[in-house]
Amino acid sequence: MKAKNIIQCVSLLILGALTACQEPLPIFGQREVVTKKVDGKPVVDTVYHTIAPFQFTNQDGKTITNETFTGKIYVADFFFTSCRTICPIMKTQMVRVYEKVQDDADVLILSHTIDPEYDTVQLLHDFANRLGVSSAKWHFATGQPMEYVFDLAQKSYFATAMEDKAEPDGFIHSGAFLLIDKQGRIRGKYDGTKEDDVNRLIRDIKRLERE
Amino acid sequence: MSKRNYEFRISNFGFACLLVFSIFSCSSNSGSADTSSVKFKQYYVKGEELYLKHCSNCHQKTGTGLGLVYPPLNKSDYMDQNFSNVLCLMKYGSQGNLTVNRNTFAQPMPGVSSLTNLEIAEIATYIYNTWENEKGIVDVTEVNSLMKNCPTPE
Repeated sequence: MKAKNIIQCVSLLILGALTACQEPLPIFGQREVVTKKVDGKPVVDTVYHTIAPFQFTNQDGKTITNETFTGKIYVADFFFTSCRTICPIMKTQMVRVYEKVQDDADVLILSHTIDPEYDTVQLLHDFANRLGVSSAKWHFATGQPMEYVFDLAQKSYFATAMEDKAEPDGFIHSGAFLLIDKQGRIRGKYDGTKEDDVNRLIRDIKRLERE
Repeated sequence: MSKRNYEFRISNFGFACLLVFSIFSCSSNSGSADTSSVKFKQYYVKGEELYLKHCSNCHQKTGTGLGLVYPPLNKSDYMDQNFSNVLCLMKYGSQGNLTVNRNTFAQPMPGVSSLTNLEIAEIATYIYNTWENEKGIVDVTEVNSLMKNCPTPE
């Protein structure tokens, strides 16, 4: 009897450890529980926060929308090419992410400029070429007014981005990298200026793919 | 206890050997690249600190730069051929194209206007003696005279 108890206990522990390893990544933002009717029967469902519909122009002059990213995992960030402070580090780190997901058809990258007036399609095209990255994998988004980008950053991605004349470059923005799943939900937030945190992101992309 | 002492002596001896060896190997170096002096080491350490603060965001800790956006320093023909310009652009920045190792870089470089001539000498000592660069100390007296000829920023 005792031995059986011990076996039960150990197997429970092992099971616990296994499920802990495979625990899905958190889902960010507020959620709502709604009751829907399926085949006439009420079914309780959870509605999660998702990225609002958007439309930009990428570095090739092509229109990109949510649909470009539907069914794809993607990493998003906010930057501008003339930024001297954290952006160069963010771009260095994003190039690392790019190199890891280069051959992975399920993952894309989306960098939004918060200075669309200066960062035109042509300039972003040149910037992407200079980084040596492919537009099929890494989209640089512009073509919308600054306020549109700030609003999307704050409300959809929970990332800080705003104009501030007191800052050396005229903007404040967070160095965050956001991990978005195939349903448009935020599944991770990482400091794009820290190598360690970007390593965590690279691991989480793989984890998300296994879900 | 005695074993510890013995180990200590051994490591001391090893250190002394290394010291003698490094002094010997430095003094046998021909040319002006005297990197064994205390002054060089002070410049170099301070230079590294300043480099990490003001330069490595773009040029990287490893001096590789980033793609064709930010030029490399870990070997750069521009650095080899334009020593006085390099000093000037640390302080005054650079606008327009710059050709490094046959690649053209267009990103404007912001200058760090607060840098003193001593700090410029320290950064120069660091970047000109790291990676594959071995120029030796860049003395502040040299920087003082070269900075007078910098093109005045508009």
